[in-house]
Amino acid sequence: MASPIPEVEQEIEAATGEKVTSRKARDAGQWSVAWRRFKRNKAALFGLSMIASVFFVAIFNNQLAPYPGRPNPDAFKPLYEGDAGEPPSWKHPFGTSTYGTDILSEVVHGSVYTLYVSLLATAIIMILAIAIGVTAGYLGGGVDNVLMRTAEVFLVIPVLPLILVFARIFQIVFSQTSFTLPVIGITVPIGLTIVVVIISLFGWAGDARAFRGEVLRIKEMEYVQAAKSIGASPRRIMLHHIIPNILSTVIVVVTLTMATTILTEAGVSFLGFGDPNTVTWGLLLNENLNALSVTWWAEVFPGLAVFWSVLGFNLLGDGLADALNPRLRE
Amino acid sequence: MENDGTILSVRDLQTYFFTEAGVVRAVDGVSFEVKKGETMGLVGETGSGKTVATYSVMRIVPRPGKIVGGLVYLDGDEILRKSEDEMRRLRGRAMAMIFQDPNSSLNPVFSIEEQLTDVILTHSGGTTKEKAKDTVVKLLGKVGMPEPETRVRWYPHQFSGGMRQRIAIARALLLSPSLLFADEPTTNLDVTIQAQVLELLKSIRSETGASMVLITHDMGLVADLTERVTVLYAGRVAESTDTRTIFRKPLHPYTLALLKAVPRVDEKVELEPIPGNVPNLIYPPSGCRFHPRCKYATDICKEKVPPLEEVHEGHSTACHHWSEL
Repeated sequence: MASPIPEVEQEIEAATGEKVTSRKARDAGQWSVAWRRFKRNKAALFGLSMIASVFFVAIFNNQLAPYPGRPNPDAFKPLYEGDAGEPPSWKHPFGTSTYGTDILSEVVHGSVYTLYVSLLATAIIMILAIAIGVTAGYLGGGVDNVLMRTAEVFLVIPVLPLILVFARIFQIVFSQTSFTLPVIGITVPIGLTIVVVIISLFGWAGDARAFRGEVLRIKEMEYVQAAKSIGASPRRIMLHHIIPNILSTVIVVVTLTMATTILTEAGVSFLGFGDPNTVTWGLLLNENLNALSVTWWAEVFPGLAVFWSVLGFNLLGDGLADALNPRLRE
Repeated sequence: MENDGTILSVRDLQTYFFTEAGVVRAVDGVSFEVKKGETMGLVGETGSGKTVATYSVMRIVPRPGKIVGGLVYLDGDEILRKSEDEMRRLRGRAMAMIFQDPNSSLNPVFSIEEQLTDVILTHSGGTTKEKAKDTVVKLLGKVGMPEPETRVRWYPHQFSGGMRQRIAIARALLLSPSLLFADEPTTNLDVTIQAQVLELLKSIRSETGASMVLITHDMGLVADLTERVTVLYAGRVAESTDTRTIFRKPLHPYTLALLKAVPRVDEKVELEPIPGNVPNLIYPPSGCRFHPRCKYATDICKEKVPPLEEVHEGHSTACHHWSEL
């Protein structure tokens, strides 16, 4: 067969030969392109290192904190040393509370709970939001109508008072304070887990709507129609065309959801509706509020910790959104 | 049903879109035939139902569209009543489609290799990945991609529009279908690239002997590529005949108007735009749907739907006044 190689395109290639070879040398997969773009974004890299620092502190909390966490009685050692309500010093960099705990230690131990809350809540929210959003977008029609009207109910009603009410009710129902997971042997605080589950059940609606919109957009793309026209099954279209193409949106939404769940949990605990047996940053804010005029540091440093991690996740999310945006591809 | 060298026979096809604003009769009683090895042009303005008609034949009409009536015989076999599983086996193998916009007809997150070998692997369980890749590379070379061995690993965004359309054409050809739908395959390409893609389509046709349905509004393309033409207007067939006759002696005012709206290089003729717009298909005009824009229209055109009559051998038209043209 006479090869119909287009001379025009060959010429273009000859003229821009250098560019073509340099493009060839680099991996052009979606993720490597995104990573190259991400690396150039200073704010995003800063956000990533902020998050990395939170993870680092949480993993090595026992090594980093000068004092153990409550309920270990050694947590109150500063009280017996006569250091209760002390301002920041070399011995107590973040100061101590009026009831004699080291704020640095409490913030360090609290990071574990913060990550527990945000990871678990985000996981639950993502499972709900993806299942509901993708189903609604893909099936459309009546199913879509029912699911999205339900989502709107959750978006319209003020969820914080409801979260507070349900958190209190369920904490009364479950009297146990913690249990140990059978296989991995990690002790999980029950009260906090209840708060996490309630936050998740009230927090999926916005994300589900975002995913539905993405599915609707991708469903209209010609490549989905093209896949149908060469005999792809609905399952295949879902797994090979729709899911991979909403993945970048999911990643961005995950990081932003991490930030909002941290903030919601801190708010719930700050208002005194969290788990009273688990010293989260929100609980520290709640406990030390009355002594704000005396020990401001006991309020400022936990607050800064919340600020640091939320800002970190938001910067990371924005950076990922830019890096993964296909319209900004090189 | 008849199987005298006819690969596709569409009888009184009706596809409606059930929207919130009302029922859009996008295809409302369309009939046409494609003979084996022949290229037929499906011509009409945007919104005339040409794309929906082909989507209906492949049964990939997007929601809220639904095929509500008609018969479609593919190689003598009625396919509108087949199960979805049977249809899936036919798509790609018996018939395939080349889409309009090469920029969006390839999945951006997978490399060309992943996308195309996938098609082969889903349809034929027995082949290995290496064999499938071999086929893909060979075919990419055939459609004119330089260095297919290396470029097969590239992603869609790394190719030019023309190259992407070649890839889309290769995808349609992967399972060597005997009927190929080309939905305005050159509309979104630069003029120079258009000519190349046209040449490619021609060489594919002569090499594979596949029948082709070319969906277009470009009369130049029709003259260049097709043997027969079916002109659609507002979801109905206006005229159907061989390509020569369409250009020499069209017997429908709409066809005539279409031809007058095409610029010509050889003669100095004033271009005559067709007045008005494609009608609203929720409330289509009464009688002949073209009558509000037709300069030959009389009272009968407003009242009576003109039937599609074979007025000469192999030449059908749906006009009350065909003999006066």
